[in-house]
Amino acid sequence: MAHAFRRRPDGSLACRLDGEEKAIIAQVAQETADLIRADLGIDAGGDALRRAAESEDPLRRLEAEFAGREARTPSDSAVRRLFPAASEDPSLAEEYRRLGQRDLADGKIADLRRVMSILDAAGGGHGEVVLDEDEALSMLRALNDVRIVLADRLGLQRDGDFDTVRMLQQIGERVEDAGPSGDEEHVGSDIVIAVYELLSWLQESLLRALD
Amino acid sequence: MPVDLPRAVPRTRTRTRTDTASEERTTLETEGPWCTVVWNDPVNLMSYVVFVFRRYFGYSRVVAEQLMMQVHEDGRAIVSRGSREKVETDVQAMHSFGLQSTIEKAGEV
Repeated sequence: MAHAFRRRPDGSLACRLDGEEKAIIAQVAQETADLIRADLGIDAGGDALRRAAESEDPLRRLEAEFAGREARTPSDSAVRRLFPAASEDPSLAEEYRRLGQRDLADGKIADLRRVMSILDAAGGGHGEVVLDEDEALSMLRALNDVRIVLADRLGLQRDGDFDTVRMLQQIGERVEDAGPSGDEEHVGSDIVIAVYELLSWLQESLLRALD
Repeated sequence: MPVDLPRAVPRTRTRTRTDTASEERTTLETEGPWCTVVWNDPVNLMSYVVFVFRRYFGYSRVVAEQLMMQVHEDGRAIVSRGSREKVETDVQAMHSFGLQSTIEKAGEV
């Protein structure tokens, strides 16, 4: 059972999480980082690109520079929410992607990795997770990015949609009680709902402790 | 923004809109023809949006909460103004926090 974040006398922020909760959070953080990399084509041919960038041939260096700056418009709907168009003008939006998307992606992936290593360092069993102020900021951003991905998978579009999803889940449970059912898709969305709630609760608790 | 978080209801709700609006005008950067717009979405917690506005822009709690409520109720709010370069930096920062944000030329909408 998770215990909310609190400010310790030395100024650090601590919460208590079960081993299973830490593993789940680390896993969804990993999946979010993988999704960003796959959808934006980061790391794809990274080594080849680096070799080209160090090449003696100026044309190859130029090509590498150009390829490194290429910024794909995300095709996954969740990644589009993480990397939204910065302008309603398509050509401006395109320009901003070219200029800033790679840095934005690097920052998000760094936050997610940092959270994974904090959770790893906290160990497998039930125990304390301690953050300094800077780590708390990474944690807030990473939890938020993961929640954005989960919300997309749950189809949340408008305020109040999560309440509707919860209500449908509860109705579903009652129907299941009445008779045998249990398709896998349903079980899958139950897990997503539970993880989304855990992350929302944890993020809110960290915000209160920081306040 | 989800509304089920009791703590997130700002204490300033009893104030009139004109109170906070005039305060906002004096506090926000008013220079320059470009604006940073933040859009409502169903994921970001109200408390998180207030945290981001305070942390990144250095706004007071009252101003940050007023802007958050404007995003929540009107669907969008102008959260900073300035040169194009400054606003581009602000929009990128909002994206780094996972907020939906666009750059807009002042007076466009």
